Amino acid sequence: MKLALKGAILAFVCATFAVQAQEKVIRVGVLMPISGPGSYFGVMGKEGIDLALEQLKGGVNGYHLQVQYEDSACSPLQATNAVKRVLDQFRPHIVIGEECSDASLAIAPILEQAKVPQLNAGSVTMKLTESGYRYVFRIFPNAAQQSLPLAKVAYDRLGARTAVILYEKTNAGNDNADGFEKPFVAMGGKVLAKIDFGRDVNDFTAIATRIASLGRVDVLPTFALEGQQVRLAQALAQAKVVRGGGGNAVQMGSIWLPYGFDQKAGQAAEGYVRIVQFDPNEKRRIVQDFIRAFRAKYGADKVPTHINSHAYDTILLIAEAVRRGATDSESIRERFSGFKGVEVTTGRISFDPKGQNSDLSVVHFVETQKDLSWKGLDW
Amino acid sequence: MVALGLTLIYGVLNQINFAHADFVTVGAFTAFFTATRFATKVLGLPDTGAYLLSMFAALGAGALLGLAVNAAVFAPLRDRGDELRPLIATIGVSVLLENAQLALFGPIPYQFDSPFARETLRIGRIFFSAQSVLVVAVSAAAIAALYGFMRFTFLGKALRAVAQDRETAGLMGINPNLLIALTIVIASALAGMAGALLGPVLVLSPFAGASVIVKAFAIVIIGGFGNMQGTILAGILVGVIEAFTVQYLGSGLIDLVVFAMLLLMLVLRPTGLIAERKEENV
Amino acid sequence: MSARRIYFVVSILVLAALPWLIATPYWRGILVLCAMNVLLALSLNLVIGYTGQLNLGQSAFFGIGAYVSTILVKSYGWNFWLAAVAAVGAAGLLGLALAAFAVRLRGHYLAIASLGFAVITYQVLVNWENVTQGVRGIYGIMPPFSHPAALFYLVAGIAVLVYVLIDNLVRSPVGDSLRAIREDEVSAASLGINRALWKAFAFCVGAAIAGLAGCFYPGFVGTLVPDAFNIVESFTMMAMVIVGGMGTMIGPVLGAIVLTFLPELLRGFGELRLMIYGIALTLVVLFMPGGMVQAWMALRARLR
Repeated sequence: MKLALKGAILAFVCATFAVQAQEKVIRVGVLMPISGPGSYFGVMGKEGIDLALEQLKGGVNGYHLQVQYEDSACSPLQATNAVKRVLDQFRPHIVIGEECSDASLAIAPILEQAKVPQLNAGSVTMKLTESGYRYVFRIFPNAAQQSLPLAKVAYDRLGARTAVILYEKTNAGNDNADGFEKPFVAMGGKVLAKIDFGRDVNDFTAIATRIASLGRVDVLPTFALEGQQVRLAQALAQAKVVRGGGGNAVQMGSIWLPYGFDQKAGQAAEGYVRIVQFDPNEKRRIVQDFIRAFRAKYGADKVPTHINSHAYDTILLIAEAVRRGATDSESIRERFSGFKGVEVTTGRISFDPKGQNSDLSVVHFVETQKDLSWKGLDW
Repeated sequence: MVALGLTLIYGVLNQINFAHADFVTVGAFTAFFTATRFATKVLGLPDTGAYLLSMFAALGAGALLGLAVNAAVFAPLRDRGDELRPLIATIGVSVLLENAQLALFGPIPYQFDSPFARETLRIGRIFFSAQSVLVVAVSAAAIAALYGFMRFTFLGKALRAVAQDRETAGLMGINPNLLIALTIVIASALAGMAGALLGPVLVLSPFAGASVIVKAFAIVIIGGFGNMQGTILAGILVGVIEAFTVQYLGSGLIDLVVFAMLLLMLVLRPTGLIAERKEENV
Repeated sequence: MSARRIYFVVSILVLAALPWLIATPYWRGILVLCAMNVLLALSLNLVIGYTGQLNLGQSAFFGIGAYVSTILVKSYGWNFWLAAVAAVGAAGLLGLALAAFAVRLRGHYLAIASLGFAVITYQVLVNWENVTQGVRGIYGIMPPFSHPAALFYLVAGIAVLVYVLIDNLVRSPVGDSLRAIREDEVSAASLGINRALWKAFAFCVGAAIAGLAGCFYPGFVGTLVPDAFNIVESFTMMAMVIVGGMGTMIGPVLGAIVLTFLPELLRGFGELRLMIYGIALTLVVLFMPGGMVQAWMALRARLR
């Protein structure tokens, strides 16, 4: 009898625990641009996050990941409103976002004050991890990590001595352009011109004509989004500046360009050398599993972009922190700080004391071939 | 061409349409889907034929849109005779159209290739894509057709009469409402076709139109509101100025230079490059 | 008159209670934003509603106020209040510059001139990098008061003050002159009204108030980038004035409140948010051409 009672109590206790275990959640606020031109990022980011959540439906360490999206529209004002709202109403343990540098910088002090970690996957501006924030973590290579390898490869591997830097007039474009210019000039290269343009520019004929008049240009590091890059590459090919148009110059690009750009730009993209954050040709198992799952969910003809994959990675990293025993904001922050070589689809993640991922395995060099496929370069 | 549609609406209606940019985008998307999904796959047309067909589809889509917006917004507001409210209403329409397209097509830019976009013509070091030559040629044809229509047909004369004095024209047996509707439809159809022509030149996303509209306004003003010849001249002028700005000052300064010129124009010759005889500006 | 007093006292009490009724940081933030928008709508209404000048460039003055005050505080170490005075002055002067166009141009010509003016101001903010930091933006800007309720009281207090001042202004002979210009410029001139002077006056005061609103924006967001003063912002301000009721005092205030809260309340709709906003804006203009104020009066008349 006593035994039966004990058993009943034990069973009851277990059941209560089980219920509690089921109710344990890690709340993840996601700030993405869902309206306006920035929704380019938001739509793809959401695809990646939704896929990761689906795979983690069973929970991690007894915890469920619960996500709430807010539209931060790529703008500081909208992002501050959205982050305050999500903090008030959802009380997240961690916030993912934003993609745009301006918006990421605007929410950083607010999250710092609320002691909620910010996991950033898509901003390049140096300031984000150089301002002394304790709660900022970034898996995206910052401007220096993107531009320095580009400058080195341009000078050493491609033997380039002259460059024209093309960049969109934004925080990110500026930082990337500076990040290329300084080391390239220090090595002995010469920057013939720095040409910037607003995000609303469509017609690059005038710019291409000007570059054609500058004499011999070896490399054209270009920092802009996909849509403008397509037009720019085509204009440069028409001006016979780049290899794709029969010229000599090699166009170089940063992580901003997703897989699929080459098909859109067509022959103009041939010979384009760039770094990517996510290379779907990589043989690592996690990459191939991710691509398979992505196709199963979103369509057999789709190839995930780096935006899909780095958003997917943010959820994997949070799950990893939970697996290592994180239960709230503070412990997530601590687990993140201890990350060394955590494998995700973009590469391996190790956070330095500033919160920046310091593992450059996430930077992959590729060259666009004649058939517009990528050739991975082992640089 | 975008500017031409605007100037037509303004000339007859005294009305600015902020949704005009989105008509261009709708036209571009219509053309894109007609050319890539319908004409080549369903009808099995060759590329050039498909593209030409898509231009007419875009024209039709623009016209339909113009009809709808006229019926829903302009017509009900016209009789109240003030200029501000329709203007705000068109802002509302513009927000609606832009976001409806965002929901339908997504924000990721499409690659719209016309058979002309990858051909290049060269004169010395200067080069044009065949597409831009096509844009100029079709625009010129449209302008000529429009000009002929306005000058020589009864409807065109009636339109000009309405533009000059709506009430008197009404007394003379012209139905101004019908004609105004016609104007909006023509202008919107032009915008739709402009979309088809510019689709392969622009970054085709739901925000494509917004990137050309402000400049179109500048061209309209520099050319003189409602003045077609002036608009054409101003379009060429702005193009040349842009090229020189990129060459000598820096590409970031284009808007600054163009709009500084706009303000200068407004002070020196508020009626535009080719002055109209009608003295309206106090 | 006493009914007006009562309304006034009640609204002051409501204002005082608001930050405590909805005390979360998010809604308090929206309240501050709302007060800022009320100021902007009031400033634009003076130009459009009372003087009849089609001005699409109000975002320029808002931006000038924000940048001048922030740069003086951050780069030159000025006191915030002194910087605010300078910023208001700068915006006012720029208003005079736009007024120079307004004296010569009318209707849509002025609309586009003011639009061009706003584009140029925006481009200067983007390109004059030595001073404005361009697109890199200015970060870590502190508000004059760090407590959100205090910031709300400050901005709302100023909005009330401006409301009372404009209210008195438009009911004075000055208001008559402005309205005369709105109704018919030629007959206004024949009545001996100096059009150029009063237009300049309206533009200058309107710009100064927008500049004043601009002083509080950077501290509130903490970040200052030129994109915040895109011409689209001018359209939003215009929409506030029209939706509320142009040429009335309370209309723009209501319009600002509705158009600040509406997009936030629609956040639950995700991607449909801006579509609904666009439809709502169009419908309001179609079915309430005189704005909310006129619709309300018509409703009251029918109920009687």
